[in-house]
Amino acid sequence: MKIDIIKTLFTRFLSSVLTLFLLVSFLFIIIRLSPGDPTDNYISAKLGTELSEKIAEKFSLNQPITNQYFAFISNIIRGDMGVSYNYRLPVFEVIWQYFSFTLVFASISFILQITLSIWIALWVIKKRKRWLDNFLTNSSIFVYSIPAFALGVALIYIFSFNLNIFPISGLKSLDYDYLPFFSQFLDKLHHLVLPLITLSAGGVALFYKYIKESMDELNSQTFILNLRASGLEDNVILRKHILPNALRPLISVAGIELGILLGGALITEVIFSLPGMGRLTVDSIFSRDYPLVIGCVFTAGAVMILANFLADIAKLRLDKRLIKGILN
Amino acid sequence: MKSAIKIIHWLLFLWLLLIILRFELIIDYLSLIFNYISLFLGDTSSAIEVLNFSFVDASLSTLIFLLIIPLMLIFRKRLHFIKGKLNFSFAFLIALCFVFLFAPIISNENPEFSKNLSVTKLLPPLSSVQQIELNPKMDRELTKLEIFRKNSEKIIKPPFNDNVIMADSVLLNDKIIFYHNNQPNEVERNSLNFKDEIPVIEKRIFLLGTDEFGRDLFTRLIYGTRISITVGLGAVLLSFIIGIILGFIAGYQGGLLDIVLNRFTEIFLAFPVIYLVILILAFFGSSIFSVIIVLGISGWMSLFKIVKSEVLSIKQKDFFSTAELVGLSKLQILSKEIIPLIIAPVLVNLVFLFSNVVLAEAALSYLGLGTGNSFPSWGSMISSGQEYITKAWWLIAFPGLGLILTLFSTNSSGMLLGKMINPRIK
Amino acid sequence: MNIKILKLLLLSLLFFLIISCNSNQTSPNSRIIIGISADVQTFNSLFAFSYEESAIVDLLYPGLLDFKWNSEKGELDTYPMIAQSWQWSEDSSYIKFFLRDDIFWSDGTKLTSADVVFSYDIFSDPDVQSRLFGTFDYLYTDAEGHIDIEKTFKVISANEFEMHFPENSIADLVKISIPVIPEHIFSNIKRDQLASSEINFNPVSSGPFKLKKWDRNQTITLVPDSNSFLFTSGQVSELVFKVVPDYTSRILQLRKGDIDLVELVKVEDMNDIKAENKLSVINLVGREYDYIGWNNIDREAFSVGKIKPNKLFGSRNVRKALTMAIDREAILDEYLLKQGELAASPVSRIFKLAFNNEVKPYEYNPQAAKRLLAEDGWKDENKNGILEKGKEEFKFKMYYPVGNPLREYAAVIIKNNLNAVGIEVTAEKIELGTFIHNLNERKMDCWMAGWGIPIPLDLKPYWYSDPNAAVLNFPNYRNFEVDKILDQLETKISNERKNELVKVFQEIIHNDEPVTFLYWTPNVVAYNNRIKNLSITPYGVLFHCWEWTLDK
Repeated sequence: MKIDIIKTLFTRFLSSVLTLFLLVSFLFIIIRLSPGDPTDNYISAKLGTELSEKIAEKFSLNQPITNQYFAFISNIIRGDMGVSYNYRLPVFEVIWQYFSFTLVFASISFILQITLSIWIALWVIKKRKRWLDNFLTNSSIFVYSIPAFALGVALIYIFSFNLNIFPISGLKSLDYDYLPFFSQFLDKLHHLVLPLITLSAGGVALFYKYIKESMDELNSQTFILNLRASGLEDNVILRKHILPNALRPLISVAGIELGILLGGALITEVIFSLPGMGRLTVDSIFSRDYPLVIGCVFTAGAVMILANFLADIAKLRLDKRLIKGILN
Repeated sequence: MKSAIKIIHWLLFLWLLLIILRFELIIDYLSLIFNYISLFLGDTSSAIEVLNFSFVDASLSTLIFLLIIPLMLIFRKRLHFIKGKLNFSFAFLIALCFVFLFAPIISNENPEFSKNLSVTKLLPPLSSVQQIELNPKMDRELTKLEIFRKNSEKIIKPPFNDNVIMADSVLLNDKIIFYHNNQPNEVERNSLNFKDEIPVIEKRIFLLGTDEFGRDLFTRLIYGTRISITVGLGAVLLSFIIGIILGFIAGYQGGLLDIVLNRFTEIFLAFPVIYLVILILAFFGSSIFSVIIVLGISGWMSLFKIVKSEVLSIKQKDFFSTAELVGLSKLQILSKEIIPLIIAPVLVNLVFLFSNVVLAEAALSYLGLGTGNSFPSWGSMISSGQEYITKAWWLIAFPGLGLILTLFSTNSSGMLLGKMINPRIK
Repeated sequence: MNIKILKLLLLSLLFFLIISCNSNQTSPNSRIIIGISADVQTFNSLFAFSYEESAIVDLLYPGLLDFKWNSEKGELDTYPMIAQSWQWSEDSSYIKFFLRDDIFWSDGTKLTSADVVFSYDIFSDPDVQSRLFGTFDYLYTDAEGHIDIEKTFKVISANEFEMHFPENSIADLVKISIPVIPEHIFSNIKRDQLASSEINFNPVSSGPFKLKKWDRNQTITLVPDSNSFLFTSGQVSELVFKVVPDYTSRILQLRKGDIDLVELVKVEDMNDIKAENKLSVINLVGREYDYIGWNNIDREAFSVGKIKPNKLFGSRNVRKALTMAIDREAILDEYLLKQGELAASPVSRIFKLAFNNEVKPYEYNPQAAKRLLAEDGWKDENKNGILEKGKEEFKFKMYYPVGNPLREYAAVIIKNNLNAVGIEVTAEKIELGTFIHNLNERKMDCWMAGWGIPIPLDLKPYWYSDPNAAVLNFPNYRNFEVDKILDQLETKISNERKNELVKVFQEIIHNDEPVTFLYWTPNVVAYNNRIKNLSITPYGVLFHCWEWTLDK
């Protein structure tokens, strides 16, 4: 058994590496084929073309493209993602600063999305009111359809500008350094409330829809009817039998959603000026910061693969629990 | 017993409503068409030259409009769906189709028309301005071509009109004085256009207000619907074609091709697609065409999976090997055996894909990468409108509402479709 | 059970959130917050490439001299900074600088001539690729552009040194005064590691402010440096630059009081902001103008080395006609709400002594335009509404970069205006990076863009005919009269003579109309009235910001 597990893990790992490699090469090709040049930024009335030529030399942009590709690949294999043109720091360092924020932000949002959606779904099923069910289904579709930027802007306008409850942008207030530790934590949280709502609303609606659907489907299945007929309490049925089964389809979607979140919540970050991966990636694309673009997309891809992997593991464990539960 | 409103009732209602409200306009369009036909018969070459998109658009819309309901009534035995029950989502989607097809009839103005910004800029809904018509100087005898041109410009409004002045209010004396923001300006009496001795000064109402360039929001919303729907349908169609072809190949051939395609799909799934989209659009320019292609390329993965799994399961069934034995070609197998079976889940998926694409297009416009300002799409209207949120809420509210309602209706219908196909859920 | 605990947690979180809302006014009571749209990339003066970056970084590294904009003359006046006085030699071959004796770096070290000489060395070093690399051709340099330190500098003492110039070089005090960076820090860093060294994030500075904290993409916090020679006791305790990329958010925060100063406010927001009692606005016009660029020469011929006039835009009368066909006044009135000014040449009114009042912008006159076009041979024989000359139809594409609503609006008006005289134009938007690239590669025949004017006035890079000397001459304008004038401006002549020459330059340009000058665009700066002692001029907003004080 153990050898099997190791074998599957290994093949999984290999295929992930292959995918990432192809991903990065594909990216390299697209970027190099595109118009625009990072050295364009260094041409101005004062500087003439000397500086831009020097910089092209330094970043080996004037070498034939095959040379550049091989240099690039050999660097990646050695773990060197290069130096960002704009920040002049190693790409890894730049990404780390922004990724730590995105990690925290995305995780909070993810947990919020999962717990809220499961909570609401359980609550609705217990209540057993038709109108509530319909109302929530319709509003979840409605909420899911609201584009993030409209929601974010509306929230800012109402809660920040008019009602003055939350700050308009940023991650911390200017007095952050003067606050005691606990208040610092709360200060950050205070700044994150509106962004979290903007980011999570659609996800909560989506998850709710998935889980509610599968719970409904299960509810009408024969084995559940049997359990009910045999006198088992509703609560117990929900928790032990319906919920675990309902979670299966949710987990696949959740995996993808987590991957997307960790890649950077672009629009939310732009509206609320948060220092996350989304903005970093897009800014680097617009300024033709090739090493940083590749680094960012690589990170996003790796994280997505990881998230899917975690989702698959979660599914496996869930299956084991189900089997155990049935055997009991 | 409540009598259910059927789809056909709603269709008839919309059709009659449009006829009643836009009767004159439809007659105008018809007369223009006849005018053109006479020109065509007289001077064929210049008739072909003067053909342009807006004219063809308006004529087609009129003709389709006049024919569609009678045709539907005639063929109502075959069209089952129009007997179905109406709910909000279907009603909205049908209204959307109406807007898409009959935009030139619903709104007469040009979405790009902008004049006298100081007077027309950022007006709230239901506000109005005075529109003074000037007499275009016509010094010589006009050819048939020029007559046609002149008529067509009167009916099918161009984006720019030198012979019109918008003003807050007009004073009619010996001289004509009109006001721009309380500043009086004069114009000569004989430069005005007269109809039966009265100068042509009309009240122009902006139903939903104007944007920052003085353009009518209602018209932009109507034409923007076309853009958003075109992008949505185009991208979905592209995803559909790619997904089906690749899925069929992977499922049918199996082996190496299957593995390669699987890896390929994984790459696309792992790749944060939005960045691919941004990359391509930023580098290669954004136009309606590139947006459709890019969004189409980013959405085929789920279709691929569905098609592939269906093909795989079908391959093991008996009738499949019989089909092969009988000698059907791959193409025939695809069309006759596979497509009918997968059409159901694929359709549901396509509906959700459509809503995702519309949402993605709006988000791209927000980032400045959408279809551009010359084609008003909901996304670009919302993104330019959000800067005026404190001053002109209608710039965001109406396109936003349109977007939300469209997404809601497509998602809702998708779910309904899914339920119909998958009767396990009560 | 789990649910109950979660509920309790949420409730307590909410409780704390509400409390924390009201408790944050205990910190520095005098703080000025400036809203910026993008973060700086470094605090190393060597690499502060963009205009915004250098404005902030220059606060930390003053130069030898200080420059103040004199609005009556339209010139910069020179004042002492690190150098307290200077003396030209009789033959003007060198300047002797006397430095102040009381300048200390933020780590306590004294600033000496060695620092100044070192700064010149490192700024011109080709291996460093600083933002000033290649701009020292008025000094003795080697083939690569590196300053020959021995020939140029003679250090007499810690506070005295001489700077020597080669023959025929024009030493401009504005060019000479580069930021002075600390030798004792930078000489210890290997030159190829400068970009990533710690000094970029923890600068040692001599300016009135030092960097206290840099939260990337969030805030830059500067505090007064008590060691600095520019330190004044009334300085605000914190100068914060807050990064807010979203324009609407910046304006909302300005109106709410979270931000005290914002540049590049949109013209239509001016009235709302003026209506707020606590805010004021200033409109700075004259540093940037929008224009439609016409490629004066034929691109195909140029690629094989020949110079022929462009088929459409080669003739100056055609270009004049194009300018006259466009109602620029309408755009100015209706979109810019009269907050800009029509442009007739690359010299704006703020350069009072050099501005040629006689050169008036062309009037909007479509009839005259049609006439000029007809004289050049453009007629509409086949009555399809488009002019043609022989087989060539007057059709072209005008490209402009995304992200500028003024240009989007103007594009529509321009298109319609030109259509009315028989010219078919399609306006195409392209992404900024691609646009700049195409511009540099001279791939476009017609484009709409904007140009920023340097202070002091520098015309050669834009209008000289030699492409090596004029990297920004995208229209490929060639006029040997203008070349002569531009060459003369680089010689040792009096200021009066220079101004005369610039006035002649404006006449010639106006007559040639190499591009269609549209209008000088406004830069509206909005600020909170609690800031006193502001000196906002077209030269810059942050001038002497260490002298700003706050209302109590």
